[in-house]
Amino acid sequence: MEFKTVLTTCPYCGCGCGMVLEVLDGKLVGALPSKTSPVNEGKLCVKGWTVHEFVTSPKRLTKAMVRKDGTLEESSWDEALDMAATRLKEIKEKHGADSIGMFASAKCTNEENYLLQKFCRAAIGTNNIDHCARL
Amino acid sequence: MGQKIREYVQGLLSEGKIKGFLGLRQEHGHVMPHLFCDPGDLEHMSLGDKDGPGDARYPLNQILIRVAAVYPHDTFAVLVRGCDERGLRELFKWQQLNEERVIPVGLGCPDELAKACECEKPFPDCLVDGPQGERADSQKVARIDGMDLEGRLAFWTAEFDRCIKCFGCRYVCPMCFCNECSLEEETLVGTGEIPPDNPTFHLVRAVHMVGRCIDCGLCEEACPGDIPLRTLYKKVADIVSEELGYRTGYTVEEKSPFTIIGGS
Amino acid sequence: MANKRMTFLQKLMEFCGMNPERVRLRWVTSAEASEFVHEISQFVEDIRKIGPNPLKTKEAA
Repeated sequence: MEFKTVLTTCPYCGCGCGMVLEVLDGKLVGALPSKTSPVNEGKLCVKGWTVHEFVTSPKRLTKAMVRKDGTLEESSWDEALDMAATRLKEIKEKHGADSIGMFASAKCTNEENYLLQKFCRAAIGTNNIDHCARL
Repeated sequence: MGQKIREYVQGLLSEGKIKGFLGLRQEHGHVMPHLFCDPGDLEHMSLGDKDGPGDARYPLNQILIRVAAVYPHDTFAVLVRGCDERGLRELFKWQQLNEERVIPVGLGCPDELAKACECEKPFPDCLVDGPQGERADSQKVARIDGMDLEGRLAFWTAEFDRCIKCFGCRYVCPMCFCNECSLEEETLVGTGEIPPDNPTFHLVRAVHMVGRCIDCGLCEEACPGDIPLRTLYKKVADIVSEELGYRTGYTVEEKSPFTIIGGS
Repeated sequence: MANKRMTFLQKLMEFCGMNPERVRLRWVTSAEASEFVHEISQFVEDIRKIGPNPLKTKEAA
């Protein structure tokens, strides 16, 4: 049996409220505001209070999905990546790099976000990158 | 302060009487809940005082319910102040915790905190450490009682207008454990508006605090709108005590009057 | 039980600035039709005397 509490920052908006996550046997079971965090002083909004729910939600995607004829269908990673790469190339050639925009996320790691902006700026060649924390 | 608690918990752990002690730890200037299973960890123990007494308290009973639900055959010790002990008594009656699997470790609150909380009894009976403080007089409720009807309506409407329906009061409450909450019932409280139905939302919550609220004050501390929830729930407790003769968390057998059919 | 809840509710309403006389509890059986009519009519009259609910007018505004 292992119960631990982890001090972290809320993954939602740019406010950056300090919170304490409760982890029981490797599974997220609760979230509490950090009483000692100067940002939120022990308070959270409804999204912060329910942060542990989305992590273990049964609604989360477990397979890559591709839209075929307007409907999302399960597919393999290879198929999904191939499609993304092909279509992005086509759009870039036809409409220019600036016709593509990308959204990073506070729910991703810093490393993942860095990778995305590098891909956006260096590979695609556009500056159209933004992040949900700016909202 | 805290040395007596450390020693007591060390004893419980070394004698194998508990699987762990649910208390608080201090780390890099932050205070958060912690389950102490190794006596060596106790050097990082905090009593919930960061800059002032009791300013970093958490709903430990609530966390205990979550852990005990998965490990019902293990015994845990838990840090309790006067209010938490009242909470435990009620939670045992509501069958959310098994009293044979919980060892309360009592901490008394200093005068400064007792006065800020206007606490009726700022120490638990199972006191291990801390003072046996005196009851503090309530002025917050008296202030509202002193207003006329119109003044009270204006006051409460203005306060409730700052509600952002974060449900913080409910999420943090160590006594809220219902699987289906009335506040999420659309026929009672409409959805899609901020502030939520004024004053319905808060009156519904207040009614549900009968026989439940232990006056720990965590709700008011968690409210981003600084709504004086504690004053409202203190009045609820006063009404229940005066009219129905029940005080939450003071008895081991007697149950909340709203759970008993009959009687008046 | 209803008695307990009503007593409590009226005190709580009063604390929050609402006239407790706006809610009333009466026991009437299905065999007491005339009493029922009387109670309702009386209550409507009493409410009229108290006047419109300030909460309602606030919402309208």
